[in-house]
Formats: sequence, structure tokens, C-alpha cells
Amino acid sequence: MTKAAGSSTSKTYLLVPIILFFALLIVAVLRSPNLLTSAGLGSAVIVATPLILATYALTTLAIAGRVSIDLSVGPLIGFINVILVQLYGADIISGPVPFFLVAFLLGMAYQLLMGLIIVFVRVQPIIVSLSGYLALSGINLVILERPGGTVPEWMSSWGLGISVFSPVAAILVLSTIAWILFSRSAFFGHLRLMGSDERAAYASGVRIGIVRLGAHVVAGIYAALSSLTFTALIGSGDPSQGTTYTLIAVTALVLGGTSLVGGRGGAIGSLLGAASIYLIGFVLATFKFGSVQSFVTDLSYGVILVLSLLLTVVLPRIRRWFGVFHRCCCSSLCPSSRAV
Amino acid sequence: MTHAHHHATGLPDDETAGVSEAPGVSKVGEISVVDVHKSFGATKALDGCTFNAHLGEIHAVIGGNGSGKSTLVKVLSGVLPIDSGQVSVLGHTPRSPYDARDIGIATVFQEVLVADESSIVDNLYLGTDSLWSHALPAREKVRSAAALMQELVGVKVDVEASVGTLPLSIKQRITIGRALLCKPKVLILDESSAALDLESTERLFAKMRALRDEGLAILIVTHRIAELTRISDRATVLRDGQDVGVLEKQEITEQNLLGLITGESGTGHVPTTAVRDVSSSQVVIKTKEIKVWPRAEGVDFSLHKGEVLGITGLDGQGHSEFVTILAGIAMAAHSLPLVKTDDGPFAEIRGLADADKYGIAYVSGDRKREGIFANLSIFENLLMPLFRRTAKAGKLAIIDWPTLSAAFDWEAKRLSVRMAARDNKITSLSGGNQQKILIGRAFALNPDILILNDPARGIDVGAKGELYEDLSAYAARGKSIIYLSSEIEEFLGFCTRVLVFRHGSVFEEFSDDEIDPDRILEAMFGKSRHARTAPVTQAEPNAKAAASPPRWRKLWASFTADMAESLWGEPPKEMTAPRPEVKFVDAIPDAESETDGLPKKIKVVDFSEAVGR
Repeated sequence: MTKAAGSSTSKTYLLVPIILFFALLIVAVLRSPNLLTSAGLGSAVIVATPLILATYALTTLAIAGRVSIDLSVGPLIGFINVILVQLYGADIISGPVPFFLVAFLLGMAYQLLMGLIIVFVRVQPIIVSLSGYLALSGINLVILERPGGTVPEWMSSWGLGISVFSPVAAILVLSTIAWILFSRSAFFGHLRLMGSDERAAYASGVRIGIVRLGAHVVAGIYAALSSLTFTALIGSGDPSQGTTYTLIAVTALVLGGTSLVGGRGGAIGSLLGAASIYLIGFVLATFKFGSVQSFVTDLSYGVILVLSLLLTVVLPRIRRWFGVFHRCCCSSLCPSSRAV
Repeated sequence: MTHAHHHATGLPDDETAGVSEAPGVSKVGEISVVDVHKSFGATKALDGCTFNAHLGEIHAVIGGNGSGKSTLVKVLSGVLPIDSGQVSVLGHTPRSPYDARDIGIATVFQEVLVADESSIVDNLYLGTDSLWSHALPAREKVRSAAALMQELVGVKVDVEASVGTLPLSIKQRITIGRALLCKPKVLILDESSAALDLESTERLFAKMRALRDEGLAILIVTHRIAELTRISDRATVLRDGQDVGVLEKQEITEQNLLGLITGESGTGHVPTTAVRDVSSSQVVIKTKEIKVWPRAEGVDFSLHKGEVLGITGLDGQGHSEFVTILAGIAMAAHSLPLVKTDDGPFAEIRGLADADKYGIAYVSGDRKREGIFANLSIFENLLMPLFRRTAKAGKLAIIDWPTLSAAFDWEAKRLSVRMAARDNKITSLSGGNQQKILIGRAFALNPDILILNDPARGIDVGAKGELYEDLSAYAARGKSIIYLSSEIEEFLGFCTRVLVFRHGSVFEEFSDDEIDPDRILEAMFGKSRHARTAPVTQAEPNAKAAASPPRWRKLWASFTADMAESLWGEPPKEMTAPRPEVKFVDAIPDAESETDGLPKKIKVVDFSEAVGR
């Protein structure tokens, strides 16, 4: 009972993401009922999963505080993608296990490096991630000059999206469950409190250095998973395509109600935020804007982001007005409340 | 265990010159600090400080602003590394807060360190869990957190609510609760009663005595000498980063302490300014039926020219809200305050712009959130409002550095601020000196009405005396001062009138000779001198000005107030509006409170209203 009350007060930030998601879902289904078929959902999952997983990676770091918005997540996805494709091309790796291992290793190693710089050199996280963005964007082009290469047969079949029950969907579900379990761990408690007030956490004996590094490692794992599903989606290597994920993942992060200042955020919000981004693109695609399609899509991301932030400001006010109204009625009905 | 060999010899003689040597002082305690130096740039915070405390005692650390008390606390809790010297607590040297926790040191810092986005229970158990596993199941935590908060606050608190919207005093209790929860062997409280009202302070003291009897060492750092003389078993006095004396229980008197703090035989801090009769002079600000909360009774009040008005009350009785309303920062639930304008009629205060226009300045006691600009220099923090006013070349507004420099030197000297260079960040100053800078900022504006919200919080007695003198002199120049404080001794001989708030409205008014700590205290606890009288102050009817503003204006005002609220993070109305009925009955089990003549009351809270809505 008390548990339910507590979680409802601490999770009110999810209200707007939920409203937005279902509003978009209704519009999307009305525009294209095909979305609700097995194939429709299947392809939706294939396309949306890399974005969702990238948003999870961002969420972990955003919760850690100090405005840790990992701008380099997009190039990192591309980086892992081009390395996997080149290694496969050189016949060094081919099976699923080496693919996953290499991806995890790269993601964690890169994020750990970032984390060490942030913790020990004490540079602002956003500056470090911006440097990472620029550096990786260049490195990706060195590794693979132009889009090309192939992926193994087992992986390209993932990207077909014929049915809901695909390996990509399994990755998405398992990652989400893992995030939810992670959010119940003691480690996550430290992470959240550190993000909320780093000084308080430090002064109370939380080892903030280790906690921050841990957040980076977890983000690296999710970036790796995102890159794997991205590789399956495009079925080849692409040095610049991944970079576009940075901005839309940050948009999804904000839509999901995660506080960029730290201390607040979670898997459900980020899942809804990223799914909303996908749905916006999906709905707009049904309108056939032709050559201006991508401009209209970007414009809509921006407008919806601002509107959803406005809604977060307005909703508590509406609730408060309603609350005041409610209390006035109660107090007039209850004579004992005015007794002094 | 191993601490003895660290420093088996006694204290260095030159460092302890002037110590009133009492038996056992030179004995090394379980907590020992020997000849510790710590500098921040050019400022020497600790300059050869030596300190000893034992388990099973309440040991006070006292000293003026910038004497190194807080630095000593931070060194003992592993937050600050030392430049040289030795620190040993129960045989270990704390090198990080994590170490300190392991050793069994729990510290409540002067700064109220809470994670605003998180719940009370998370904040209480902050640092309790090990890195990978929970120390307790969540349900268990909630249960014991609720019990602890009930003990500390005295009323039931929803421990799963977020901390951000709570008032400062509750946040402070959360930090105290956090320290108690780690079951420490050494408990350090740095100015931890600063944001607490008298009743909660008593409760905290009772808890401290119980813990001492269980064998804990309790170190307290406080400015409130009256409290200290009652609670502490021994006291170490610091001055300029050195220990200048250790007092045993029977020696701890206000006079002895003041003598050591100031380095000379000090006088009491009670100012002796003659109280002037100002009741016949002009009214400069007044309110008519102003309501702090929608359901509070209206406040009719007026302030005269040259008056120093004291305002007090227990925590959360609306007095703090009332002064922010007068200062144009918050909006009243009903009506607007009226201020005298230069050309005659009264004008409404609808917001900060109006307050500024009519010469009202406000100084907050919560300097971290509402006072300082942490990343700006001392100079900028003091003179910020003057940059524009003294600027030259009309619209170009070129900053007039020579004038500002002169103004800075004058103000800094007058307020006797201890600082290295004026271009240092304000955070390099000690808390008390920061507060001096903020009060100086308000003086620099030369306001007609100066509103101070608990400004003396964290200021040492010497500076307090100076502050009272400054304020009295300021009032003598025909300016008016509203002074909110929870330390009622401050009002003696300083205020011409004292208003005591209760349930969001003026409960009692004292003027001139009637201002007496005991009577004010009784009024704070709800005991009236006589039967409850209706409005205390007679405000002359001014129907035109007091007429309710047009509807759009009200809407706009409520919107801007909401914006201010979201910026300020004031408690939302849901939290302040339903007040539990509080009654007091005689009897208190604690025998030690007889020394100060506190009314012996126990709080009985009726929750039917607050909970059953």
C-alpha cells in the first residue's frame, strides 16, 4: 500500500511520456492499421530497437548527474558497426559469440576511457563526450571510407522483420528487463543519489568515483547492444549513419522524462520516449511529403519536444487546481476542520 | 587500539599557550588531532590546531567566524585532506568520507546536504548500502525511516515523498537522521541546530544525551552559546585556526567562552541601544487582512519609520512566509502589502520589481540557495546591485570601478569581513563571513525598509553584536527594519516591537518593556498573556488602495508566483495548508532544562485533519 503510494509520487514524470506515446500510437494505427499486424510490429521493433537501446545508454549516464549527456553515443554505434563489419570482412570473426564479445568489449572500453577522464581529469562530461563525438566521427571514416561491407548470414536475417518474435525483439525485451533489474540494485540507488546531489552522496560515504565508472560501463554495454541491432538493421557497415543517432536519442531521452541534471529517469520513460520518436517518423511517413520528408520529421521532433516539456509544466498546475478545488469542497462539508 | 603510539607525548607547548589547563586535558583521547595545518590558497584555515575528545562525552568546538571550526570537522570526517599534522579517530586516520563511515564517524555538515530529487527514505539511507547489495530490504527501510522521522520531527512524515519541496528545517533533520542511522561511535554535528526551532533543538539535545550515555563521542560545533553551556561536557575554543583553550563542564560559561573566542575579556552580546519611541512616526509599510495561507487568519500590521520590528515563531508558523510576502518574493493567499511611496499614497507590492522600486531590500538566511552567487567573487557578490546604479555614460553603462572599489573597501571594513583577496570566490569565505557580505549587499542599496530573514544564522557573537549596532544605527537614520529570528535573545534591547506568529497569523505582540524572552517563548508555544485579542495593530482604513486588484492581475500574479515558486522550490500549498491541531500540556521528562526557564511542554498532535482529508 505505502509502496504503491511512494512509487506513484516518484514516478509522476512518466505521465507525459505515457500520454504522448499513446496519443501517437492512436494516430499511427489510424493512419496505418498495418502497424498492428505481426509483420508491422516486427519491422517496427527492428527499426526502433537501436534507438531504444541507445537511449538506455544515455539514460544511465544522465542519471549520474553533472549534465552527463553522452553526445558520442551515435559515433560509438557507428564505430562498433564499422569495426564489426571490417573484422568480418577480414574473416577474423563470424559467429554470434565473437560478434557480441567484440561489441561489448569496444563499448565498455570506450566508455571506461571516457569515465576515467571525467573522474580523474575532472573535465565536464559534456566536453569529454563532445570530444569523443568528433574523434570517433573521424576514426569511423578512417576505418571504413564509405558505406559497404556485409554482415554474416545469421545477422542479416535478423533485419528482415517478418514476425514480432525476432532475435532483435528478444534483445530488446531482455535489455529492458535487465534495465529494470538494474534499477532495483543498490548500485543504482547510489547512482541516482549521486546524480541528485553529488556532494551529499560523497559526504555520506558513497564512493562516487566507482559509481560513475560503473555507470559508464553499463552505458557501454547498451551502446554495444544498440550497435549490434543497428548492424543487423542496415546489414552492412556505415561510418556516418550511426552519428545521426546522437541527436534523436537525446530527444528521446528528454521525451522520456529523464532529468538532464541527474537523479531522475528510468527504462520505461526512455522506452516510451524512443518509441514516440519512432512513431513520429512513422506517422509522418504515411503523409508522403516527398523531398522535404526529413525536414518535416526533424521539425516535428523539435515541436513535439517543446510541447511535451510545456505539458510537464502545465500538468502539475492543473492537478494542483483540481486539488485546491477538491479540498475546498471537503473543508466546507467538514465542520470540524475550522474549529480552533 | 593503535592510536597511542602516534603521539605519546603531550601537546606542543607553544600551540596551547593561554589554555586554562584543567586536569586531564593533555591526556590523548580516542579522537585526537595534533598540530594540523590546512590552507586554502592564502587563507590558513587550520594553523597548528590540536584537539582531543573522548568517547562518552559531548565535546563542543567553538570559535568566531573563520576560526577553522568547520575545517576541523571536515578534516575529522575525511572530506578534506590535511597539509600536515596527525589525525586519529579510534586509531584510524579517515582519508575519505567512505573511510570515516567505516571507522564509525558520522557527520552532519553545516551545509544541509540532501538529494532533492530523491525520497526521504533514500536520503536517510544514503551511503548505508554497500556498493552492490542493499543493507536492508526496502520495506524495512521505510518502516524504520518513518519511526526515526517521527522521533526527530514530532509529527508523522510521508518518508516516500520527495525531499525537494520540504522546508529547510526538515531537511536538516533528515541529515541528522542519516547520521544517527549509521550507528556511529563518533557523531559530529556542525551547526546542526541552526535551522531548528527551540522545541526540536530540545528534542535533539535529549537524543544527544542518551547517545553520550551509550558511550558515543559527540562533537558539536555551534554559535549558540546559550545552548552550548547547557549541553556540552567539555569545550575547545578555536581562534584563527588554532586551539586557544579547553574548558571543563563547570568552566563553560558565556563569559569564559567569549573571553577565549575574542581573545579579550568580552562583554555580553546583548546590545544596549536605547529603544526609541517610534509609534507616533509615519507608517511605511502595512498590510490589511493579508493571508499567508488560504485558511490562515488575516494579518493587520503596520511598520513605522525608524522602527526595528522583530518577528518570530516556531518552525512553519507562517512568519517566514510573511516576510517573503512583504519583500515581494512570495504572494499572499489574499490581499497585497502596501508600501508608502515618496509622493504620499500607499502602493501595492505585487512583486519584486515593486519592492525594489519602493526601497525594500531582503536578506535571506538560507545563503546557499537564496543568497550567494557561488561562482562569483566576493567583490561581485557584495556590490552586484551597485554595478548598474553607479554606472557611467548613460545607456552605455560603463562600470565605475574606482567608486565601486571605494564602496567595497568601506563596506568590507565596516562589516569586518575576514578574507584574503577580494577577487577570490565567495565560497572561499567561511559561512559567517558570507552572510556578512550578503547583509553588506543589502546595506549598499540603502533601502528604506530592510527585511532580514534569520540573518544571524551561523554568525559568531562578535559579528552579531556588530550587526545589531549596524542595524540600530541604520534605523536611527529613519530607516525601518524587519528582523525575523528564531533566537529570541536577539530581540532584547534591539527591537522596538516583537510579533509572535502562530498558525499563520500574529498571535501576540510585545513592545518595548514587554519584550522578555520567557514571555515571547510562551507565546511561541501558544500561551497567551491574556485572552486572545482580535487584530493587534490598527491599520488606518485606506479602502482605495486595499481594494482587490482586477481579475487579470490576480491571475497574472498567481502565475508569476507559481513561476517564482518553481524557481524557489517553496513547499507547495498542499504541504502547508492543512495544519494539524497542536496542543500543549504541561510536563517534560527531561530534568536538565530547568536552567533556562523553558516552558515544560509536550506536544500533542491531532492528526485527524491533516490525514483524514
